[in-house]
Amino acid sequence: MTETAIGALSPASERVRERLSPAFPDGRSSVADLDLPTIETDPAAWPGLARFLRDDPEMRFDLFLDLGGVDNLRRPGKRSRFEAVFHLYSTSRNEHLRAKVYLDSEKPEIPSVIDVWPAANWFERELFDMFGVNVTGHPNLRRILCHQGFVGHALRKDYPAGQRWMCTEEDLYVPELARRAAEEADHYETVVVNLGPSHPATHGTLRIVARLDGEKIVEAESEIGYLHRCFEKMSETHTWNQVIPYTDRLNYCSSFINNVAYCRTVERMLGIEVPERGQLVRTILSEFSRIMDHCVCIGANLVDTGALTNFWYLFQCREEIYSLIEACCGARLTVSYGRVGGLSRDVPPDFVERCRSLLRSIPPFLADVDKLIKRNRIVWDRFRGVGVVTKEQALAWGFTGPCLRASGVGYDVRKARPYDFYDRFDWEVPVHRDGDNYARYLVRMAEMRQSLSIIRQALEIFPASGPVSANDWHVVLPPKNNVYHDMESLIYHFKWVMEGIPVPEGERYEWVEGGNGELGFYVLSTGGGSPYRNRVRPPCFPLMAAFEKIIIGSRISDAVATLGTLNIIAGELDR
Amino acid sequence: MPASVVDITDREPRKIPFGVRLYLPEIVRGMAVTLGHFLKNIVHMSRLPTILYPEQKRNYSERFRGKHILKSREDGTLKCVACYMCAQACPADCIEIVAGEHPKIAYEKYPVVFNIDMLRCVMCGFCVDACPKDAIWMSRNYELSFFGRHESVFDITALAEKPNQGVKDGYGYRPYYPGDGTIPPADASVALVVPGDGGRKELREQGRLHEPEAVASRTRNA
Repeated sequence: MTETAIGALSPASERVRERLSPAFPDGRSSVADLDLPTIETDPAAWPGLARFLRDDPEMRFDLFLDLGGVDNLRRPGKRSRFEAVFHLYSTSRNEHLRAKVYLDSEKPEIPSVIDVWPAANWFERELFDMFGVNVTGHPNLRRILCHQGFVGHALRKDYPAGQRWMCTEEDLYVPELARRAAEEADHYETVVVNLGPSHPATHGTLRIVARLDGEKIVEAESEIGYLHRCFEKMSETHTWNQVIPYTDRLNYCSSFINNVAYCRTVERMLGIEVPERGQLVRTILSEFSRIMDHCVCIGANLVDTGALTNFWYLFQCREEIYSLIEACCGARLTVSYGRVGGLSRDVPPDFVERCRSLLRSIPPFLADVDKLIKRNRIVWDRFRGVGVVTKEQALAWGFTGPCLRASGVGYDVRKARPYDFYDRFDWEVPVHRDGDNYARYLVRMAEMRQSLSIIRQALEIFPASGPVSANDWHVVLPPKNNVYHDMESLIYHFKWVMEGIPVPEGERYEWVEGGNGELGFYVLSTGGGSPYRNRVRPPCFPLMAAFEKIIIGSRISDAVATLGTLNIIAGELDR
Repeated sequence: MPASVVDITDREPRKIPFGVRLYLPEIVRGMAVTLGHFLKNIVHMSRLPTILYPEQKRNYSERFRGKHILKSREDGTLKCVACYMCAQACPADCIEIVAGEHPKIAYEKYPVVFNIDMLRCVMCGFCVDACPKDAIWMSRNYELSFFGRHESVFDITALAEKPNQGVKDGYGYRPYYPGDGTIPPADASVALVVPGDGGRKELREQGRLHEPEAVASRTRNA
């Protein structure tokens, strides 16, 4: 055992190392202490290590969160050009872990870990699509976000950001099941149905090809990427703050949460803290955004199943919340309100008043929806026992957020690792054991009420005045009055706009509870004014990956209802 | 006060209750809800959540980010000095400026061309935040439709504020507002703020500064 660097590890990393070294004495895997305990290894050792990480009683990293690649072409001095970076979570021990697999620089290859974590399936396809990493043993290794006519691998550093490729009709992907069904058409009575990419029930541009036996789905395959704009590549060509409008467009139903998640990551890299008032504004508006997200999810879902009235009730809440957010930042949907270090500007003077009036006006609407839906025979018949995801399946498929909680796992980031002020509030994490569509509905309704309760408590401790942004002019813009009249301030201002924020070299994974699960940003900086790599962990990516498995055996109309309760947001799914 | 995990499974009956199975009581209950809303809307017609859009308009706040306005000086020339800060700050890369030398010495530079491509613009307001001369604001005008791509690029004539004509729908997102503590550039009497260093010294003394980690500072083989 050799020591490659001096200094003690943090207790968490030390625990990982102590457990790891007797099991893998070959010295190919090492533990580094970054913001998270990080295991560094090579591809040959990875499958065994992965199994160990999942099964070892003192590890138990049962939830596969994220897999993102890194191209070190412009970051000299690294072990190899390509890295595959895994983020894992242990629900029993409430710990995050990062595993870095260094891949060959010329012919990057990594063994698939689908048999360890089924959730890795789509993530590995994305790694292949974006970096050209050959994932050996993957059953369906083809492009996922880019279309079939795409040439090259977009997130490689030598790929020009402005390059585009046309997708012609010949490039359109026809799933194997559709081709096979066409051959068997005469002697096997199944029908292939294509849902999407433009279909009112898909709530976004995604495509589902299903083979039906009567009305039952026998096989299904989903195809995504229609809204892909390579947010991650675009981040690399923009300054740290310019990425914020891009994050708005990830989960556009709760865009403020994306702002907060991204800004928090950069703030932690800078080592700055947002003032209390700014944190509380973030908390309050995040919770309002969560309510909107759930309103859209439930409202649209009920429209799909024929209950239009609830849509109006829920969307009225949403409209009123939008008015509040618009009064704060000037836009309703794509808010761009967060800034690294705080917020773009202070909240309006009547902020608390308006929040309180919303707290009064939202609950009656929720009560009305509950009256119409909760004990509705049709809803019971359509939702109960439909789209069932067991606890084991939910964990294996990498679910987070309301869908995981509806399957009986009480993992909520706000509770597991309280950020901002969540540990000071008295609130509950609702959990349901059934895992069906009805459970997901109930969990979301309960969560909206909890969000209201959090907002109520946050307003009680909300300071009447004070800064909302950190007082560090390398990071936030100086007050306008200074810029107009003072040369030094103008220089700060100029540097902020022209060069961006000087974020120190390093990497960080920060995660918050988004509208539909754990929203994480894995950000790498080389010390410049823009990110070297900005990886987002999209919560609905694993949900959509599991969708084609959940709907097997159910009816096509139930598949539409299930798609609604999973809450797929195409902007975040396709990035 | 940590949050608690609460199992809500048993709050609803496992089996379909008799009253629910009958349909009728639930239908009556549902009708009562919708009828209640109907009557409430009839009584309070003025508080209807919907509006008749082209005739009526939603009242947006003073921070609304709509179409841009190029502000003018009192003599009618543009305040813009063509410093390219807004073009640099723009995440969508939609601002095009060509600078020229102004005949009046005091103004030095002015924009010969100032184009905003409205098909690219994402209405984020970064240009307003970036302007050091208070030259670009946004209005509350959100009706920016046009018939072809050739009309999508708004030039100085379309963007500049016409003196004494007012702005369609009023001013929106801008650096300062009357009465909320923000100060217009004309007021040079207000004391300046001391540049902030993020309070690093105090934080470090209190042990609350999160020093950013260096990459792979501490590595040990397993």
